[in-house]
Amino acid sequence: MASTQELTAIFLKEFLRIFKACLKTFKNWNGKIECENEKGGLQMREVLLKTEQLSKSFSNGGVLQHVLKNIDLELYEGDFTVIMGASGAGKSTLLYALSGMDTPTLGTITFHGQVISDMSPDALAVFRRRHCGFVFQQIYLLDGMSIMDNVLAAGLLVSQEKKALVGRAEELFKAVGISQEIQKKFPPQLSGGEAQRAGIVRALINAPEILFADEPTGMLNSKTGLEVLDTLTRCNGRGQSIVMVTHDMRSARRGNRILYLKDGAILGECHLGAYVHNDQERHRKLAGFLEEMGW
Amino acid sequence: MSRSVLLARANLRKARGQAAVIVVLILLAALLLNLWLWLSMDYRQNFERCHDRLHAQHVTLAVDNVSGEMREHLIETMEGDEHTDAYTLDSVLQAAGVFAHNGGEVNHDFIILQQQEAFSRTIGRAEVVEEDSRIKSGVYMPVLYQSDEIAVGKTVTISFGSISRTYTVRGFFNSVMAGSHNCGLCELILTPDLYEELKGSGCATGATLCSVRLTDREEAEDYETMLKNAAAAKDPAAFAASNSYALVSRSRYISQMICSGIMSAMAFFILLIALVVIVSNIMNFIQEDMRNLGALKAVGYTSRQLVAAFLLQFEGITLAAAAAGAALSYGLFPYVNKMMVSQTGIPYEVHFLPLPLLITLFILGGAVAAAVWLAARRVRDIEPIVALRQGMQTHNFVHNYVALERTRTPLSLALALKTAIAGWKYNVTIGVTMMVLTLVVVFSGMMLENVIVDMTPFLSLVVGETADSSVGIQAECEEEFLRVMGEEPQVESLYLFHMRAVSHVGGLELVATICDDFSELKYQQLIVEGRFPKFENEIAVAVKYAGEHRLKVGDEITMTAGGKEADFIICGFTQISNNLGKDCLLTRGGYGRMGELQTVSYYIDLVQGADVDAFHKEVKERFGRDVVGVTDIKKAFDGAGAVYVSLMRVIVISALVLSLVIITFVLYLLVRTILNHKRRDYGIMKALGYTTGQLVLQTAAGLMPAVVVSTVVGLVVNMWLINPLTAAFLRGIGIVKCSFAVPVGFVAAAGAGIMVFAFAAACLMSLKIRKIAPRSLLAGE
Repeated sequence: MASTQELTAIFLKEFLRIFKACLKTFKNWNGKIECENEKGGLQMREVLLKTEQLSKSFSNGGVLQHVLKNIDLELYEGDFTVIMGASGAGKSTLLYALSGMDTPTLGTITFHGQVISDMSPDALAVFRRRHCGFVFQQIYLLDGMSIMDNVLAAGLLVSQEKKALVGRAEELFKAVGISQEIQKKFPPQLSGGEAQRAGIVRALINAPEILFADEPTGMLNSKTGLEVLDTLTRCNGRGQSIVMVTHDMRSARRGNRILYLKDGAILGECHLGAYVHNDQERHRKLAGFLEEMGW
Repeated sequence: MSRSVLLARANLRKARGQAAVIVVLILLAALLLNLWLWLSMDYRQNFERCHDRLHAQHVTLAVDNVSGEMREHLIETMEGDEHTDAYTLDSVLQAAGVFAHNGGEVNHDFIILQQQEAFSRTIGRAEVVEEDSRIKSGVYMPVLYQSDEIAVGKTVTISFGSISRTYTVRGFFNSVMAGSHNCGLCELILTPDLYEELKGSGCATGATLCSVRLTDREEAEDYETMLKNAAAAKDPAAFAASNSYALVSRSRYISQMICSGIMSAMAFFILLIALVVIVSNIMNFIQEDMRNLGALKAVGYTSRQLVAAFLLQFEGITLAAAAAGAALSYGLFPYVNKMMVSQTGIPYEVHFLPLPLLITLFILGGAVAAAVWLAARRVRDIEPIVALRQGMQTHNFVHNYVALERTRTPLSLALALKTAIAGWKYNVTIGVTMMVLTLVVVFSGMMLENVIVDMTPFLSLVVGETADSSVGIQAECEEEFLRVMGEEPQVESLYLFHMRAVSHVGGLELVATICDDFSELKYQQLIVEGRFPKFENEIAVAVKYAGEHRLKVGDEITMTAGGKEADFIICGFTQISNNLGKDCLLTRGGYGRMGELQTVSYYIDLVQGADVDAFHKEVKERFGRDVVGVTDIKKAFDGAGAVYVSLMRVIVISALVLSLVIITFVLYLLVRTILNHKRRDYGIMKALGYTTGQLVLQTAAGLMPAVVVSTVVGLVVNMWLINPLTAAFLRGIGIVKCSFAVPVGFVAAAGAGIMVFAFAAACLMSLKIRKIAPRSLLAGE
């Protein structure tokens, strides 16, 4: 039989757990949420992107295909969110919609409370350049420009402070391990890993509030893929919000929040906490979640 | 072959827009080529056909001497010459006359024939083009002068010296050798009653009209000189007017020559642009479709089959468009024909001409085939494996032009400059197009300034000196005339400017312009090399004639007139096209060494605002029958020039409109190619946050360096080249040096207009960028 003190302690502990759970459930407390930080402490996190009843349909030969179905989702500042799912689940479509590259058929998307889903294409372009960074599977550097020019072509859209911009670009290049010599080269002269790291620098040059990555290691070999993932992890470690689409478990492990999509709806999600290298428990937890989702 | 056909069809389906542009360019080129060939081949042939049909003469001579002795002498001369095939001698009337035409005047020495004789002569008969036989008494006018004012049933007033006659126009006739003022001789045909009345009035003198057919028409000019010299030898005082087959066939087709020359130049310019577009198109296609071409090679297609596919694709388009263009030209023939007939005065019936069509197809098909073959040969260098893996690298990775890190230019402009520097093929296409179009602009500006707005410079080039009035008087009252004119307050200046035929011994007959002092002339550019004659033993000859007879400044030549010969030193070369380059300049003293002037003509400039007609009336009243003739020079030129002005206006407007059409099509093609080529880049840039507006401006601005540079260079170079080019163009009518003023303001404004138009058109065409969605990148579309 437990003593009153023990019961009180259990009650308080349970209350605290329920309270935390409630907080997690009702996440819209001024758009901020209290989450565990890397050290297990609590911190207030702001909702970056929010979708309500997000739906996307495509007409294919007269047949309407519902790719995304009524998705309600919130993405938080500082999170490394990974979107997984089988082919055709709607991962990429969700990414295009969240990043403002595409507009939803129904529902709304808000960024810091501002509705972006009804913006004009040009307004969305301005939104993307100011708030978003992109890393593509096919890298998509502009072949006719040097690596430095590729980065500055994105940077100069937002800032006219060229000197500061070049300084920032050089810092980022250094951070991802790209030498000055490589900066002067043209994309077709680079290896896949170098090109993707250059792509990450381009994505980060405007200090975006959120970085979208679509299968960033899809075209790379194991070693260079790992380098790219390390780069993204380091960025996230410095507070960069990332949303990544992948179907690779090794890549997915880098995220602290895994969303699993099936038939256009979020089937489940898993929280892994901050990334720790060679964390077997993290690996097992992710594997279990994916198994549960039918991966 | 069937595989190549399949490939060609597939290529065509992929590039419908490009094909449409090439079709339009080839169609325009074919249209102009066919018109040019029609004008230069069959239109000129029409003169020959008409000459044969009317059994026309090769040499005509009218001498105001109807004596039996003169007739006998001429018969003896003609029968004694081996080149004489047949001849006729007719009694006609001869008189200098003036009548109003086209807002100006026609002032000429007319040969007046009686109706029955004119239409029944065995050599050189006239044919009726239109008549109203109900009009019993009237005049038949040359068909050239048919207009709203001069029409059957209407009246025409012709002034013969100081006497005027008003005749009802009974009809119009066509005479090959004497149906126009630029034939040297111009016929008028009167019904018998009016002919007799004029003969009795004394205002026209009797003349012997000699019409000769030769065994070899190439001898016509020499024969004319010989016959005229023979008449002069018999009667030095007789006035003789003559012409030859060579002179008439050339002079009646000057406008046709100019018009067909402009058409051929435009046609070849458009063809050049079409070829540049095709070559650029093929090179881009090879670059864009490298992987597909590699795949085709990998599955067994040979380079020859791939090149054959290109040939089939472009030859198919070219031949179809060329046939359509040639067919379209038949729709324009009636309008062009109307313009041309108003210049040549010889009716022409439009009919289908297979040879020009075949030549058009051959020129266009051949040129396109050669261009395609040269451009498509690059297919041979494609290694299937290399092409399939990554394609052939065409980018120069050595230089990073306009590095964003260092440049101070704004971002969009810097990116546009990068595009401009990287796209050398586009720049070449733009460069060639703009060079051609700026030539058209400069030519149009020059014609506007020197023909359409003020015709004086053009007239000066063609006829040399001009003045307000020309008064011809008997030589014996010259002193009195000068005294009266010296006291006349309306007269600002007057100087001797008399024309007389002289012959170059061993050469041809030339028209000598005789002056007391050539420094009095306003048009000092008459001399293109050396100087005007100052002394009695000096002569300046037409540069064209000098070239044909290998004469140099300093050479001595023998001239003859009035039966006497004299030697002259050539002191300079002159250019006037009035006599198709058969001119010379002599001082009065110089001519006096060969003969006496029976009459003298003075060029007179009146004070501003003076009435030329009233002045002429006063002169006629004061000097009566001593006045040989008066000419309101400006009116005379206005009459003849009005047709040139309207012709030039049509040419200038057509050329400018055509230029805008061409630049639009070329830009459309370039922008379309750029959009296809840079579709991926635009997708990436849109994903990065570039707006459609930024990319549109960037694309249009990327074309502008080439547009601006080639327009500016083109305008400057063409302003410098246009006069030598025009001179080369007019060499056939005796012009070797042009000094037309080029209106810098117009040219600069037109240049700026072209650039603004090009930018606006490029922006408009680049709007297709808005359809490029960034998501297509992520979707892997």
